[in-house]
This record gives sequence, structure tokens and C-alpha cells, in this order.
Amino acid sequence: MRLRTQLLLATPAASVLAIFFALPVAMVAVDALREGTKAFGRAFTLPAFWPSLAGSLLLTFAAAAVSTLVGVAVALHLSRLTERRRTLLSFVIALPLTFSGLIVAYGFILGYGRAGFVTQLLGYAGFDPAVIGKALFTPVGLAFASSYYLIPRVVMGILPVLVNFDRAQLAAAESLGATSSQAFRQVMLPQVAAPVGAAFCLVAAVVFGAYGTALALVGTQLHILPLQLYSLISETGTDFPAAAALALLITAVCSAIMTTGEWFGSRHERHL
Amino acid sequence: MSASASVRLENATFRYPGGKAGIFDATFDIAPGELIVCIGPSGCGKTTLLKLIAGFLRLDSGRVYLGGDDVTAATVRSRECGIVFQSYALFPHMAVWENVAYALRVRNIPLAERRQRAEAMLDMVGLGGYRDRLPAELSGGQQQRVALARALVFKPRALLLDEPLSALDAATRVTMRDEIRRIQKQQNIASLLITHDQDEALSLADRIAVLRDGRLVQVATPQEIYDRPADAFVANFVGRANLIDGVAAGADAVDTPLGRLITPPHGAPNGASIRLLVRPERVEPAVASGGENVFAARIVHDRFFGANREIELTVGRGSIKLETAMRGGIAHVRVPREAVQFLPTH
Repeated sequence: MRLRTQLLLATPAASVLAIFFALPVAMVAVDALREGTKAFGRAFTLPAFWPSLAGSLLLTFAAAAVSTLVGVAVALHLSRLTERRRTLLSFVIALPLTFSGLIVAYGFILGYGRAGFVTQLLGYAGFDPAVIGKALFTPVGLAFASSYYLIPRVVMGILPVLVNFDRAQLAAAESLGATSSQAFRQVMLPQVAAPVGAAFCLVAAVVFGAYGTALALVGTQLHILPLQLYSLISETGTDFPAAAALALLITAVCSAIMTTGEWFGSRHERHL
Repeated sequence: MSASASVRLENATFRYPGGKAGIFDATFDIAPGELIVCIGPSGCGKTTLLKLIAGFLRLDSGRVYLGGDDVTAATVRSRECGIVFQSYALFPHMAVWENVAYALRVRNIPLAERRQRAEAMLDMVGLGGYRDRLPAELSGGQQQRVALARALVFKPRALLLDEPLSALDAATRVTMRDEIRRIQKQQNIASLLITHDQDEALSLADRIAVLRDGRLVQVATPQEIYDRPADAFVANFVGRANLIDGVAAGADAVDTPLGRLITPPHGAPNGASIRLLVRPERVEPAVASGGENVFAARIVHDRFFGANREIELTVGRGSIKLETAMRGGIAHVRVPREAVQFLPTH
């Protein structure tokens, strides 16, 4: 292909990258570094910074782990269905991705909040409604709420790998004397581990930087970095360079997680 | 059961749930060192037969014996059959030697021994220098050899090969045919090979099992199958065939659409329907009219294959296929009396 045609075809992607990533990040970086590294110092010494970092890490790990576990199980099930049923169920599973985080947060409050339907039902079953109602507004509760849009992402990422997995390998392993469990652990798992790792990283990066559902659920009361950033930007008389420094930190962490995911993905490619 | 049989199927019947396909009342055995090739059209049940022996499917009725043991209710892993899959089903994340040694790994054989046995097996299949590569780094033929080595390393009770050569190019297929035969004989293992390729069946098999709609039509040596097919289906499926319907017209003559054919004595009363088989390579181009079973002919199709030609000709009110190395036109054909065989008419 001629160089000119290649450049022409690359233009849309380059434009998207420039407009939606490079330019905003550059602007934030300029703001953050206006006073050298002082803004970073102020961001790191904010009273809520370290609790927010801990909250974000807890939320990220819990949400990504639960979503990956559930998503892989769902994808495993879907991969064994006929193509028609799989397509239908994939559509249903992908539906939550189209919902607004605000609507889902409201739904979760109605279902699992302090006066939520499920909370009250669990209260009748002997559980303490006060404890259950509060759980939704913790990092772990938020992880639970976030999984509505993370699980479909895991399913969509893993499903093609599982569908294309040659199941004759499991039959071969069994015929060679392996138990079903050995065949799964020694033959299938090593081959899908890298894509599963990549899916974990993808949803971890997404949830680490997400704030919409959290804001709708708990306002700015919960200690996580995106809400901390939101507070810094929205409050009057705020320290914008410190907010920019925090934004850069969140971007860096998300990028690092995504890079790890890509590395996992490339490990999978190597065997193909 | 035959005392020496390594594999025996006895009145094996299996029907897929909700369908008509399956295997019906199949009985045959495979002796140690014997290679049976199962052949038949797509969907006739060849792979189902293999799965029933391997244990991937369970019989509705009948028995399966391996090495004299009744394994009808046994699991796949306890049947200990070495299987070469159509897709090879190699483990892409394991090195070649690890693939071959897998059966030893799950049997908790120490690492050093399993490495040594896997390497010995790789040497046997001619892949000694490839032990540390990944399957993706091998050609189709090499992957096939790895699959064969993996299936044999644990000394299985039977070797089952499901269309093992179908993914290979023509030249590699011929080489691998000889390799499979050599290794199978060397290991003296009872083997069942599934194929839809009649050349493969004829050139590889000790015996051929012809399957049609889930039923074994004939189990016999390649020569018997070719020279004395059980019926028109077998005659047509294995090799090319001229199937000619006619009516008895004397003790050794049959009226056919080609004209009156002089045949070996057929024993049928005058006027009885008779189905004749004449293999195309037995039909001869004739230089002139006159003589026994010589007919005027006109070429309809002429396919040139280098060493020989496959020609279809119209003769009288019928047609006939002929194979010859001869070049040039053909105006007459001769059907030697001894080339005519009789098939059941039903």
C-alpha cells in the first residue's frame, strides 16, 4: 500500500487520539507542572488523599476480581451454547453497558439502599437492615454496584477466546488419562489465563478512573481518588494545579494497568 | 470374543438423542497390530464409531471390549485409547516434548523418565530435533507426527485416528500414510483409522470397514472389498465402478443397455434381473468392431491425469467408464467376459 494511502487511513485514528487523549492530557499536564512539582506535593498532602488512594485500590481490586470471576463463568457458559442462543444472550448481557450510571445507581439505592427492597427482605430474614443498607455506600458496596457495567466488559472480552478454544484439546487430555479437573487446569486454564488477566486489567483500569456511579450513589462522601478529584474541581476556591496533578496520577495508574493488560494479551498471541 | 482381539464391538447400537443418526448393530474386532480403516460417506457414523470405542459416547446397547476387558461402562480416561484427532488437538502452550509427555505427567511418572520416554517417541516419529519447539512452529505434517507420538507414548490399548490426514497437502499425506503404517506396525497396536478417502483406505488398511447410514455394510481386506464388493454401494464407494442393470438371456449372457454381454455363468433363470459390476480399468479400448463383447462407443468426457485417462463413453443406449493409459481416440470398447461380476439386485 502506498505511503499516502496509509497516512490517509491512519488520520481518523490519529485525530481521535489527539482530540480525546493527547490534547486533554497535555493541558492537564501543563496545569499540573505550572509550578514545577509543587502541585503534586499539595495533592499528596491533602487530608483525604491517602484514604482515597486506599479506597480506590480496594474498590478496584474488589470490583475487578468479582467482575472477572463472574464474567469468566458467564462466558464459559455462553461458549458452550449454540451460536444462536449465544448471540441472543450476549445481547442481553451487553445491555447494562447502554444504561446511564445515574439510573443504575438510583435502582441500586431503591433495591439495596437503607430502605431498599432487598434490604428489607433481608431484614425479614434476620439480617440487620442498617448494616446491609450501609454496605452499598462503602468501597466494597460500590464494587458490587460497579460490576453491572464491568461484567459485560469481561464477558465480551473473554467470550471470543473461549468460543475459539479447541475443545478437542480437553477431549485429548482426557483420553491421555487426565481428569476433567486436570484437563481444565493444565490445558485450558493456561491458554485462557492471559486473556482473563487482560480482561481483569481492563475493568480494573475502568473502575479505577470511574466516578459517575459512585457520585450518584454516595455523593462525594466516599474516599476514592476520582471523587477526590471531583471535589477539588467543583469546590470554589479550589487548587486547580493540585487537581491536575491528581488527574495525572489517575491517568498514569490507569495507563499502567492497561499496559499490564496489553502485556497479558501479547502473551496469549504468542501461542497462536 | 476372538481370543486375540484387542478391540471388539459387539452389537453396538447408539442413536443420537432426537435424531435418526447413529450406529446400529455394529460388530467387528481388531487384532493386535491390525489396522482397520473405516470408510463411508459424510454423516454415515464413522466418527461416532470412534467416539463409542474411545468412550466419548456411551452405547445404548451392545458391548465394547478393549484388550479383553469389557469397557462398555468405563470412562474415557480409563479406556486408555491413544487418539489422534482430526485437528491434532495439540496443546499450543506446551513444548513438543511436553505434549508428548502429557499422558505420563498425569500418571505421575517422574520428570526425567517422562522426558526420556517422550524424546524416544519423538525420535521414532522423526522429530528428535524439534522437542523444545511449540506446536505453532511446526508444519502440519510435523504436528501430525507429534499427535501420533503423544497418542502412543503411554502404550495405549488401541490407537484411534480420526481423519488424521485430511488437513495435510497431497504430497505430505502420502508420506504420512507410510509413516503411520510403519509406526503402527512397529508398535503392534490395534488401530482404527477413520477416513473418507478411498485411496487412503485401500493403501493403508489390513481390513476396510465400509459404513453406510450407521450400519457396517462390509468388513474385509482391501482386495476383497475392491474385487468382491458386497453390494452396489460398496462397489461404487470404493473405487470407480460401472454398475449395469440387465436381464438374464441364457446361462452366460445378459441383455443390458450396452447390448448383449457375454458373462461368466450367472445361474439366474432367463428374464431375471441381474446387476453387473465392471471396473473401468478392466474395460479395454478395441481397435475394430466384431468379437466378444465389443461395442461401438462415443467419447462423452475425457479426463487426462498424466499416467492415465478416465473416459466416459456412450455405448448403445447406455454409458460406460473406462480407464486407460492409451492416447488417441476410441471408437470401440471391449468388456472382457472375466471382468464382469454379479452384484445383488436389492
